[in-house]
Amino acid sequence: MRSSWWKTAIGLFLTAAMLFPVYWMINVSFTRRESIRKGQLFPIDFTADHYGVVLHDQLPYLGTSLAVGLGTVAFTLVIAAPAGFALAKLRLPGGSALGFVLIVAQMIPAVVMALGFYAIYNRVGLLNTIPGLILADSTIAVPFAVMLLAAFMRGIPREMMEAATLDRASYWRTFWSVVLPISRNASITVALFAFLWAWSDFLFASTLDREGGDLRPITMGIYNYIGAQNQEWGLMMATAVVASIPTALLLILAQKYVAAGVTAGAVKD
Amino acid sequence: MTAISQRSAASPRSLDAERTASRKKRDRAARWAAIGFVTPLALYLFIFYVFPLAQNIVMSLQRYDRGSFVHGGAPFVGLDIYREVISSSTFWPTVAQMAIFTLVSITVQYCLGLALAVFFRSDFRLSATLRAFFLVPWLLPVIVSGTTWQWMMSADNGVINSFIGLFGVDPVWWLSADNALWSVLIANIWLGIPFNLVILYSGLQNIPESLYEAASLDGAGAWRKFRSITLPSLRPVTLITLLLGLVYTLKVVDIIWIMTTGTGTSQTLATWSYGMAFGKGTSGVVRYSEASAVGSILLVVALAFGLLYIVTQSKESD
Amino acid sequence: MSRLNKRRALQISALATSAALVLAGCTSNGTEATATPGDAGQGNTTATIKFWDPYPQYEAGGDWDNQVKSCAPEGSTIERSSAPQTDLLNQLTSAVKEGNAPDVVLLDNPLTPEAASSGLLATAEQAGVDVSGYDANLMGPGIIDGVAYGVPMGSNALGLYYNEDVLDAAGVDPSSIKDWDSLNAAIEKVVASGSKGITFSGIAGEEGVFQFEPWFWGAGASLTDITSDDAVSAGQLLSDWIGNGWAPKSAATDNQSASWDLFLTGEYGFAENGSWFAAPAAANDGFAIGSMPIPGKDTAVAPVPTGGEFAVAPLQSNDASDHYANASAVISCLMSGENGSVTSETLGFLSAKADVRAAQVAANPLWEPWVPIVEGAQGRTTDLGVGYLAVSGQLSEAIQGALNAEGNADAVKAAFDNAAGL
Repeated sequence: MRSSWWKTAIGLFLTAAMLFPVYWMINVSFTRRESIRKGQLFPIDFTADHYGVVLHDQLPYLGTSLAVGLGTVAFTLVIAAPAGFALAKLRLPGGSALGFVLIVAQMIPAVVMALGFYAIYNRVGLLNTIPGLILADSTIAVPFAVMLLAAFMRGIPREMMEAATLDRASYWRTFWSVVLPISRNASITVALFAFLWAWSDFLFASTLDREGGDLRPITMGIYNYIGAQNQEWGLMMATAVVASIPTALLLILAQKYVAAGVTAGAVKD
Repeated sequence: MTAISQRSAASPRSLDAERTASRKKRDRAARWAAIGFVTPLALYLFIFYVFPLAQNIVMSLQRYDRGSFVHGGAPFVGLDIYREVISSSTFWPTVAQMAIFTLVSITVQYCLGLALAVFFRSDFRLSATLRAFFLVPWLLPVIVSGTTWQWMMSADNGVINSFIGLFGVDPVWWLSADNALWSVLIANIWLGIPFNLVILYSGLQNIPESLYEAASLDGAGAWRKFRSITLPSLRPVTLITLLLGLVYTLKVVDIIWIMTTGTGTSQTLATWSYGMAFGKGTSGVVRYSEASAVGSILLVVALAFGLLYIVTQSKESD
Repeated sequence: MSRLNKRRALQISALATSAALVLAGCTSNGTEATATPGDAGQGNTTATIKFWDPYPQYEAGGDWDNQVKSCAPEGSTIERSSAPQTDLLNQLTSAVKEGNAPDVVLLDNPLTPEAASSGLLATAEQAGVDVSGYDANLMGPGIIDGVAYGVPMGSNALGLYYNEDVLDAAGVDPSSIKDWDSLNAAIEKVVASGSKGITFSGIAGEEGVFQFEPWFWGAGASLTDITSDDAVSAGQLLSDWIGNGWAPKSAATDNQSASWDLFLTGEYGFAENGSWFAAPAAANDGFAIGSMPIPGKDTAVAPVPTGGEFAVAPLQSNDASDHYANASAVISCLMSGENGSVTSETLGFLSAKADVRAAQVAANPLWEPWVPIVEGAQGRTTDLGVGYLAVSGQLSEAIQGALNAEGNADAVKAAFDNAAGL
């Protein structure tokens, strides 16, 4: 414990260095427009007006972003976890082909996919809806999720699987009661990324949800401050700060769950 | 297992056949279960990935402009577009820039991510909170973080030039055509650290503490433990992190676009394709076919690395 | 066993991929957006009217939003949504392709010929839009091959703003600036007195070209030959500013708004920017801001590019006449009579009709210095039509090269020559 405080000091320093651009953002969000480009280290020309405007305008968009983010997490896990299990543990025929396809899937430029989705969504009536956006955002996360979950599940010792099969458990039981709880780390990691990617998506939102009104995510709400020849950076930075706070809290909560090692607990059994 | 091997002493041939038969049955059951588990994914992949991808490839084989994109009638030109793209004067410099951007990015991101993950693994006060804070860059819309970097790197009154000025270094025009590559590289590394940190940290958590304890008992130092326990145990996670990092970095458009609109040396195949597909960047002329062709080339590059990963990984599990 | 399964898996995926390719091939050709005739006169307005504009900053409930919605015909409501300029054209492209286009779009004027020749727009006649009474120079971009496709919402223009306090302190008389030489002399004096020189936007793309064109045309150059000595001299002017430290290096990546932000710090003497900042400039807090026309190389007033959007009706594939009737009703409401003046004022434009403009100036003397600038403005696409976009792209490359050259004359010349070769 004695050496702990200097580690905390280093940790604080590293975090501060990493978050300096975020500090700059907060700095600008409190600065009046005329001083934004002056490059001052502190908001000397202080104003809290930006936040007033943002809190008044952006709350519906924040709500939509939250809904889309959580929906994407749920949908991604539902599709990816069983598939990861099949890839890792069930000797899927053509498993390496599937792994290959997943890599290719992540290489397709999002732009190409968005345009493809537009045509499909238009015919099916999913344009400008939240479920449509959830579906689209999940395409960012699903291949990654499958690969990561498969990688982690491969690391589960065979003895644990066989312990379950000796109990005559079906594959579904094994998956649900044994594999999933052990893969909690990986699942939470996947959930984290899925949420963050859905949260910061702009491309799908602007292509598939452009007429959604209040049902648009915050990445589009921020564009209210980008006029044709006039951008309000103070307001945009304030929006970014306001948008980050609830998600930062969510993150801290989630990180606490990526706790002690997986095999540590299993071996004790 | 023991019961069966005891019984086998009695009648080898018939019990062998019994064992093989039951194993075949289990294998078949496993395979069917696997197909069942993977069907939703397969359908999902087909509808949402294969179809747009096929469209993209078809587009690169026809000469499109905005009119024929909307009304049809684009002539089929086979591989002409690819030939034009590859022989254009922009192609090879762009590939070189992309190579530097990608390789330097993933290497530095990985090393920094690993160093941070190892650092955070030793539990000290506030470590969980600080680790969470490292993810904050990902919460910010890229337009905000990209513009912030652009301002920080401003040649005249940016904070970075002020900082290096403290050490007597002359101000650098970070976003000039020549320096653009390094500037966007720095910003991209910053963006990529959280990804590496989270995955590598998760991976580190899976290494049983008992291995380290045993090594300590043998008198191994920190570096020895790192080289002989940490790195090898992290191999599968490292492979996947590097591969995914590579694939994502190849695709990166927004951070570059916001900082420099892909001008000068910051142009990569991805930004080039993006500019042509939407008529953004220097030219407002929309070039759907060329954009699709460059996108397909990018895909081939990623495929090559994907193959490498599959080969390396199957060697792993053997 | 596993090899057999692997082969089967490969067969299935090959089948799937070829099915997808065939499907994609079939659907990417011929689309639903066939050129149905259709005429505003034969249609009836529908209950919902979709209106797209490039002003995301004008939110629901604001002046512009109310102005648009007040033009809904009897029994209809207008749904307004916005997106930035280039995105708007691309979204329109997808929408027309899918037969899902809005009823009215406000499209940036240099993009209108591209939209028209790509078959995205209905003619003004089809859409029942009255094109009479607009100034010829402002109407130019909307006429392709003799056919009119829409009407200009109004025009904004570029001018030279200056910080009165900084110029006073430097001993510069604004009225003495009549050409490039006197401008450079003024900037030199300003810099010598401790301030910074001039801000402008040289960002890659149409916005940077828009800002460059007054210098380009002011030097006597023409868009048909961007390697002429006149053209290079315009590039040299800007390049020297960067090289001398009279303009910020961030000009190469700043857009017009960022360039204005720099000017607002009060550290700069001059700013090249648009009439959309005229009102905020007049009301500026920290220091007084004046404006003057951008000087030409040897003339006091350089031609500036016409700004502003065109109100156009996209091509419709289903119920075309009804959609065109919508367009006709909304556009006529926004652009005619008294309301035309209100529309222009709300958007911060000078009207494209001479009489309405006069009324605007009478009501708001702020506009007076801008009238001659707008009347002398040149359409960017009037001569080159659809070919403008390609030339603009080349010019953008040249500008970027010139700015990066920091005054080196050989590099500037090379930048222009190389750009033309693209």
